[in-house]
Amino acid sequence: MAILEATKIHKSYGNKLNKQSVLSGLDISIEEGEFVGIMGSSGSGKTTLLNVLSSIDQISNGSITIEGTEISNMKEKQLAEFRKNHLGFIFQEYNLLDTLTVKENILLPLSITNTPKKIANEKFEHVARELGILELKNKYPNEISGGQKQRTSAARAFIHDPSIIFADEPTGALDSKSASDLLNKLSELNQRRTATIVMVTHDPVAASYCSRVIFIKDGTIYTQLNKGEESRQVFFNDIIKTQGVLGGVQNEH
Amino acid sequence: MSINVLMLRNLRKNIRNYYLYVFALVFSVALYFAFVTLQYDPSMDAVEGSIKGGAAIKAASVLLVAIVSIFLLYANTIFIKRRGKEIGLFQLIGMTKNKIFRILSAENFILYFGSLILGIAVGFSVSRLILMILFKIMGIDAIASLRFSTPALVQTLIVFFVIYLLIMLMNYGFIKRQSILSLFRVTSTTEGNVKKLSIFEMIIGIAGIGLILLGYSISSRLFSGDLTSMTQLSIAMITILASVIIGTYLFYKGSVSFIFHLIRKKKNGYLNIKEVLSLSSIMFRMKSNAILLTVITTVSALALGLLSLSYISFYSAEKNAKLYVPSDFVLTDIDDAERFKEALVADNLVFTEKKTEVILVDVNMEKVLGETPKSSGIVSKIMPLPVISENELEGIDVSPDETYFTKTSSALDNLISLKDEGPIEFKGTHEVIPQTYTTINKDAPILGYFTGGGLPVAIVDETVFERLQNNLDPALQKKSSLNIGIDMKERASVEQANDLFQNMNFKKGSITDSQLETKNNQKQNMGLIMFIVAFLGLTFLITSGCILYFKQMDESENEKPSYTILRKLGFTQGDLLRGIQMKQLFNFGIPLVIGLLHSYFAVKSGWFFFGTELMTPMILVMLLYTALYSVFAVLSVFYYKKVIKESL
Repeated sequence: MAILEATKIHKSYGNKLNKQSVLSGLDISIEEGEFVGIMGSSGSGKTTLLNVLSSIDQISNGSITIEGTEISNMKEKQLAEFRKNHLGFIFQEYNLLDTLTVKENILLPLSITNTPKKIANEKFEHVARELGILELKNKYPNEISGGQKQRTSAARAFIHDPSIIFADEPTGALDSKSASDLLNKLSELNQRRTATIVMVTHDPVAASYCSRVIFIKDGTIYTQLNKGEESRQVFFNDIIKTQGVLGGVQNEH
Repeated sequence: MSINVLMLRNLRKNIRNYYLYVFALVFSVALYFAFVTLQYDPSMDAVEGSIKGGAAIKAASVLLVAIVSIFLLYANTIFIKRRGKEIGLFQLIGMTKNKIFRILSAENFILYFGSLILGIAVGFSVSRLILMILFKIMGIDAIASLRFSTPALVQTLIVFFVIYLLIMLMNYGFIKRQSILSLFRVTSTTEGNVKKLSIFEMIIGIAGIGLILLGYSISSRLFSGDLTSMTQLSIAMITILASVIIGTYLFYKGSVSFIFHLIRKKKNGYLNIKEVLSLSSIMFRMKSNAILLTVITTVSALALGLLSLSYISFYSAEKNAKLYVPSDFVLTDIDDAERFKEALVADNLVFTEKKTEVILVDVNMEKVLGETPKSSGIVSKIMPLPVISENELEGIDVSPDETYFTKTSSALDNLISLKDEGPIEFKGTHEVIPQTYTTINKDAPILGYFTGGGLPVAIVDETVFERLQNNLDPALQKKSSLNIGIDMKERASVEQANDLFQNMNFKKGSITDSQLETKNNQKQNMGLIMFIVAFLGLTFLITSGCILYFKQMDESENEKPSYTILRKLGFTQGDLLRGIQMKQLFNFGIPLVIGLLHSYFAVKSGWFFFGTELMTPMILVMLLYTALYSVFAVLSVFYYKKVIKESL
């Protein structure tokens, strides 16, 4: 069953006279339990796609349904309501609140939904242990490393068991060791919790952890790659090849 | 694009950022100009002449300059920081620092002197209103007419030009110190790093609260009689000041975060949105602003305290006059009284007269003085008290071994704290008459001249009075022992009678007093002081409110990314706004409450020297202050609303 269904989504900025189209009639469908990567060069519209899929930005045309709910014409309040129950976010810049401890940051999504304290604590212990940050719970974000911050951010995204988790360049600010650590954890969680993850990245290594990679070019889907039964290394080589074909400015002559 | 165009565009774009700065500037200029205009106005001569008002006003204007310049300099530091990126960009495209400084100065010049002219215009138009208010408070019947005063204009221009130079100097320093890189980062490095609460900070937190409480407890015992000598008293006062101010500083530095930390710990990591936005953010920010907040708190406590005290004395003017001069007019010489009565009769004014004979007798109060130590230097065991006979008062009948005491003044009551009843001894020249006394709820029926302004009057049995009269110590007696009280039948005729009273040629050196005149005198004296204090208090209120508001503007920009995160997580704008309201309640509320508490204890320790009423005037002043102050909190919430809306 498709958990996210987007059909013919258009997104453009600017006014009538000076229109800049970013997404032009893009269709996308994501199944439950998938780990999807979205790749593309700078300016291809991948971050915009992630923003509209995650209801942070409005689309100009088309429809997006998540778990059967149409989100493209919801009001601001309903959207907030929807986000807090169904979506989780991981960002490149970690986006942790500096003034809160690791534990407080992770528990934020549960406090919006007024989850009872006891359940909240159990969930915290569980997800923090899975991500290996339980012993950091009373530290502040500026006392821990980048990788630990990103794992905290991931824990915050997973804790309320959202339908989909959106990750925007989660490894962008990490060194390669922390990056592979995080990606291993993400794919582990993806399998163990059958959590659906949509990750935007331009790092082929990161993309090779996904089960499917969608390539975006000029606001439309260029191609898709399925990992299938291949090993990660083989999949990685495929991605590199596709990226080579995709990349760069076309020669007009 | 030439530099000039660039500058003008910049100005237009930034005017929205600057509107509060402009408001603050216009406001301070208007206030200052109005004040100086008053100072130079000839119609103020009457006021100034009366009680050295001139010196008071001059001192106040110096203080005003100090407040205004500190405020403007502070506002400037916040606003230049916001321009950091722009300055960095100019440098990046190859502009020299001097050129940037010139652009900035020119921009500032237009803004600053534009506001200055506007401020002077506003100041001129409100100064007449202010003068009218002043005259009204002081009860002076003069028409408030104003002329434009050139010296006032020159003085205002000079003062604000000097402040402008200071601001430019600061900007120059700021630009000189910065490198391109640091300019781009400037806004993110302003607040201290977030760290865990250390044990040291907990100690600081507890010490802060402890010091404040210590100061309060000393202040409440300041005039209770424990401290007798002048040196002890001044040591105590310095201790209070030091412990309260240091305590306040430590309170902001440690106590706030310590208390909030305890609350957070109890939550065990599970915070709701209100707590996220209020507790966690304030916990760290108050610490880094400790000095600023201490200054704001201390000075607002000072302003509040002075305002309360002067309002107390203004408010109690009537009551005080009644206590000191119990009848409409009191004379002490028979001939004077006869002549005054003739004058009243000639004008067909109806009155009643009451003659009271007053003698002064040494009274041994050893056994009835409250907890005052026996060694007390202020109060001796034997005091000369005015004594009158029971026959002088209607409805009072005292037995021969009994004495009634009238109420003492509030100041004296606090200083010597007499017991309500007990044994005393009248010491005549030949005999000692032992008596027991009871304090009755009655004000002294004779002029304050006899009671020394507040001692109780002893009412004794007629026979005892006669015995005392035969035993008089002539050295103790006043020049006259007669209290002639004259009360007008009609309230409306008091003023007319007062005019007559003022125009009488009484004997030289004889004591006469008019209740109305006493009241008006006090109102005039206190009116001017109250006016000046209120003027300064208002300035301070508005400047400190603005500073807190600027601070919040700054903070809201810094916290914008957090709002983005929170909104992405699914918090609505309403949720965030409720959190912000909570935060502002603390942000503005904590300094306010501390300031109010400080001033309450300060006023409470010495109010009785100023008047007879404590609660009503003080609460009025505090309510007014709180109301005006809250305006800034509300404004800041509106600003946050805008930032939150833009954050996603």
